[in-house]
Amino acid sequence: MSVLGRVRARPQATAGVALTLPVAVFFVVFWLVPFLAAIYLSFTDYEMAGTPNWIGLANYERMFADPGFLNSAWITVVYTVCTVVPTIVLALLVAVPLSRPGRLNRWLRALVMIPAVMPLAATSMVWVIIYSDRGLANTLLGLVGIDPQSWLTSSDLAIWALVVMVVWKSMGLFVIILTAGLQALPGEVYEAAAIDGSGAVTTFTRITLPLLRRTLLFVLVISVAGSMQAFVPAFLLTGGGPADATQVLPYYIWANAFPYEHMGYAAAMGMVLLAAMVIVSALQFGFLKGGDE
Amino acid sequence: MRAGTILRAVWLIVAVGFMLLPVYAMLVVASAPDDTDLRGLVFNGFHLPENIGLLFGEGNLPTYLRNSLILCVGTGVLDVIFSAAAGYAMAQLSFPGRRVLFALVIGTLALTPMVLVIPVFLIVKELGWVNTFQGMMVPGMISAFGVFLVRQFALGIPKELLMAARVDGAGEFRIFARIAAPLLKPALITLFLVHFLAQWDNLLWPLIVANEQELWPLPVGLANFQSEVGITYHLTTTAALVTAVPPFILMVALQRYYVAGLTFGGLKR
Repeated sequence: MSVLGRVRARPQATAGVALTLPVAVFFVVFWLVPFLAAIYLSFTDYEMAGTPNWIGLANYERMFADPGFLNSAWITVVYTVCTVVPTIVLALLVAVPLSRPGRLNRWLRALVMIPAVMPLAATSMVWVIIYSDRGLANTLLGLVGIDPQSWLTSSDLAIWALVVMVVWKSMGLFVIILTAGLQALPGEVYEAAAIDGSGAVTTFTRITLPLLRRTLLFVLVISVAGSMQAFVPAFLLTGGGPADATQVLPYYIWANAFPYEHMGYAAAMGMVLLAAMVIVSALQFGFLKGGDE
Repeated sequence: MRAGTILRAVWLIVAVGFMLLPVYAMLVVASAPDDTDLRGLVFNGFHLPENIGLLFGEGNLPTYLRNSLILCVGTGVLDVIFSAAAGYAMAQLSFPGRRVLFALVIGTLALTPMVLVIPVFLIVKELGWVNTFQGMMVPGMISAFGVFLVRQFALGIPKELLMAARVDGAGEFRIFARIAAPLLKPALITLFLVHFLAQWDNLLWPLIVANEQELWPLPVGLANFQSEVGITYHLTTTAALVTAVPPFILMVALQRYYVAGLTFGGLKR
């Protein structure tokens, strides 16, 4: 075996290195080096022109005195909580009955994929029309006797207009994921529960939710991460406005880095966003793992 | 019991109806003759073909569409090839540096683009790739998701199969190309689909790296559509509809793989 093993090991090593080399080089050049560079830049005063000068923690100190950053951080928190919670609750309420067999459900499951597969850029342009003065949102409100609103140009409403669109957009995706998760659950458990005379609500809270924990964790993690990094809705619907009311942190980072060229400062804010994302993911894993035993 | 069934059906129809309402509104406005009625409730004739003809006759939509196709198909194919090779090797071959590479892949899965875009832009600028196709394509060419997806899938290839081929005297590259690659096909189709859809919707990177309109893919083009000459609300909606068509066709053709891609990580242990 040892001789044979040695003979076999050499070509495997050669092939392994050759097959992974392009990917390894790529990850070093476009992920590892930029990540290290971002850490370095966050301690400098780098603007697009000129050379970076080391300024220690000055960027990080500046952040906590910068109303623009504090505003963006707060809006990101509100935006994340208010998109994630309704999306998951609504998606569950649709997915649970939708995962049952039946011809109607098969059709509805196919239809749910349509909004899910729409590109966010296209979706955003459609919702700009929906939120326009003469658009669908005001028309529907008119039916129940509410005056037309300026959804995207009112600093009170704009963030909620974004939230509604994002809930609608991500709901489709999560219905599909949750439906797939529900369909993978063992049927016998439900039969046993039915024989025991367990009601629909008890079955849901005592059986479905615990069994679905893994899928729920997955949905929670990707939706929180998605919301914390969301740039496109704010960019396309409101341009961060009106009066910075929808200036989520990714938008503020982008605006500082590119139009304004404060790259050092933007890099530091990127680091804070990354740290926040890592902490929040760890908390979610801890929280849902904790209930396992 | 019967009442419960009916109640469920009604709730589902109402809920799915609401989910489809914006899609329906898009169809209505995109088919309108002009932008006097933006409610998106009632069809005022069906002018969709004319509107599409108008957008393809003049204006930049065909350019954006072409750029998006080059971007998505080009990087999608490269991602599939490189991820297949690396994912297979990481799952089935023993070679120096395997663990380090795996740690690198997992680590990059957690990084947010907001951290990377600044230094990657500086690298691309250093390479002289600003305002070029390679500048738009190369940094997003390989995804950590792709390598990870293929690796997880390749772990399921039976070792005996590969050993048997080795005993028969097949070389490692031949085993990869002839035995492993065909077995990886479902994962590779899923990867291509996921990559295509993500790239089709990528606004941030092209926005940063491409200032010239001839290079813009659809998301950047759409963002600036309103400012083009002669473009009205209903034609913007028509353009949005055109943008949604290729992902829709792919999704219909590859529905199974689409769901597999979405649920990857959610169901697997």
